[in-house]
Amino acid sequence: MNALVTLQAEFSAWMRGSADTLRARVLDTEKADRDTLLRVYRDAYALRLIEALTTDYPGLLAMAGPAEFDMMARAYIAAHPSRHPSVRWFGRDLADFLAVTPPFAGTPDAADMARFEWALGEAFDAADTEPLTFEQLAGAPPEAWATLRLSFVPALRRLSLSYQAPQAWQRRDTVPPGELDVSAEDGAVDWLIWRPAADGDAQFRSMAPDEAAALDAALGGAPFPEICAVLSAYADSAEAAAERAAGLLRAWLDAGVVDDAAWG
Amino acid sequence: MTKVADMQFGLGLRHQHYQEIADQPGQVDWFEALSENYMVAGGRPLVWLDRIRRDYPMVLHGVSLSIGASDPLDLDYLAQLKALAARVEPRVVSDHLCFTGHAGINLHDLLPLPYTEEALAHVATRVARVQDFLGRRILLENVSSYVRYAESQLSEWEFLAALSERADCDILLDVNNIYVSAFNHEFDPRAYIAAIPPARVKQIHLAGHSHMGTHIIDTHDHPVIDDVWTLYAEALRRFGPVPTMIERDDDIPPYADLVAELERARRIAAATLMTPEKAA
Ligand SMILES: [Fe+2]
Repeated sequence: MNALVTLQAEFSAWMRGSADTLRARVLDTEKADRDTLLRVYRDAYALRLIEALTTDYPGLLAMAGPAEFDMMARAYIAAHPSRHPSVRWFGRDLADFLAVTPPFAGTPDAADMARFEWALGEAFDAADTEPLTFEQLAGAPPEAWATLRLSFVPALRRLSLSYQAPQAWQRRDTVPPGELDVSAEDGAVDWLIWRPAADGDAQFRSMAPDEAAALDAALGGAPFPEICAVLSAYADSAEAAAERAAGLLRAWLDAGVVDDAAWG
Repeated sequence: MTKVADMQFGLGLRHQHYQEIADQPGQVDWFEALSENYMVAGGRPLVWLDRIRRDYPMVLHGVSLSIGASDPLDLDYLAQLKALAARVEPRVVSDHLCFTGHAGINLHDLLPLPYTEEALAHVATRVARVQDFLGRRILLENVSSYVRYAESQLSEWEFLAALSERADCDILLDVNNIYVSAFNHEFDPRAYIAAIPPARVKQIHLAGHSHMGTHIIDTHDHPVIDDVWTLYAEALRRFGPVPTMIERDDDIPPYADLVAELERARRIAAATLMTPEKAA
């Protein structure tokens, strides 16, 4: 199988822009020289992957404009070739790439936008579950609350962003390409991303610092009294903390992000 | 053997048309879902897939099997495909006679194989393993290609015909791809059709393309051209009433336009096959 391996290695190298040893294996035709024909593959390779990124990252495109987005996409394609059978997953390393790679690392709002848009995509086709309802949880016995732990739906994502990427993302179609500005926050702001309906789009909202801390504790498997303890650092009294915990729990249940509760 | 009157006409399932497909059952006989689009955990794609499957037969069509690659078969991918097939219960499962990547990198394109004895033996072994794993026969589709290798010993049609017999797999014949490759590589498309074993052809693809003057690119962004319709009639005369569908992947028109284009396939099939000696 040596000849086949070599040919395929050369084809892959050609597609990805390295030296053209494939050329010697390919025939000219009456109408077209082999360089023209080989370029069909190389051009299509880049365009297909750029299109995938365009679909996943419309906010980034609105920030960068087509020319800069194209340059950014080609740099990413070279650094992170696809290793998944589905092009759906090709863009998953883009935020990390932008955060550490010059010149993109110099504009950190881009990495924040990429992080946000990828999380929206993850929430969009995460597994479906039947979320826990308030009525179901209300049926728990009083003694359950001492050890009650929550689990969350697969579509839940939680981000901390230093730039107002979600706000800018909502304006992505209202400004000319390349002119979407993303303001910096004073500090990091916490965001909750989820999918209210199985066949719906992802939704998002910012969280106050106490909600983010409580959610992190809950995601980490802390029982309900521990979540109240976390909240007491933000509240005037233990009663206020418990009240806030109950309010947050209600909000999470109503949003459909709590998958289940267990106790004992 | 399918009777001409029962011949089924389908379309590629595209998200732009989900609502109309669900709202207007009966205009199209079946749909072809792109397997990779539904290899996700949940959300809207699977909700619509399940909903449309309730009203229509389906087939599954993949682009990442990479049956001709020298990398090992991707068992995770095959497991996902098998799970999707269990969910959809498709009439057939198909992919392409090509390779799509190398050394762990997916190039996301249908790249032509060298038509050598070595490649034939390699692909035949892999097809057998895939069919064992899936527990069903698969269809392999001829691809459009832009380059031809000096080392090829067989024509593409000899390779495909031999593969179907040696691996005991079926064929998804893309008539547009025959037309495109025939123009690009300067062979007679009718010779291609004449060399394919009729018993193996279980589905036909039709599509549009982009003519660049010196070569044709298989873009699936235009209606089917007249010369391809003519070649389709030629294929029907040899292969009989094979289930036929139109692929459209770019510049997706309104659903009604594709339904109307599919009507043309029905008319051509009726005119070609409903002759007195064949109508029995
Ligand atoms: Fe096709």
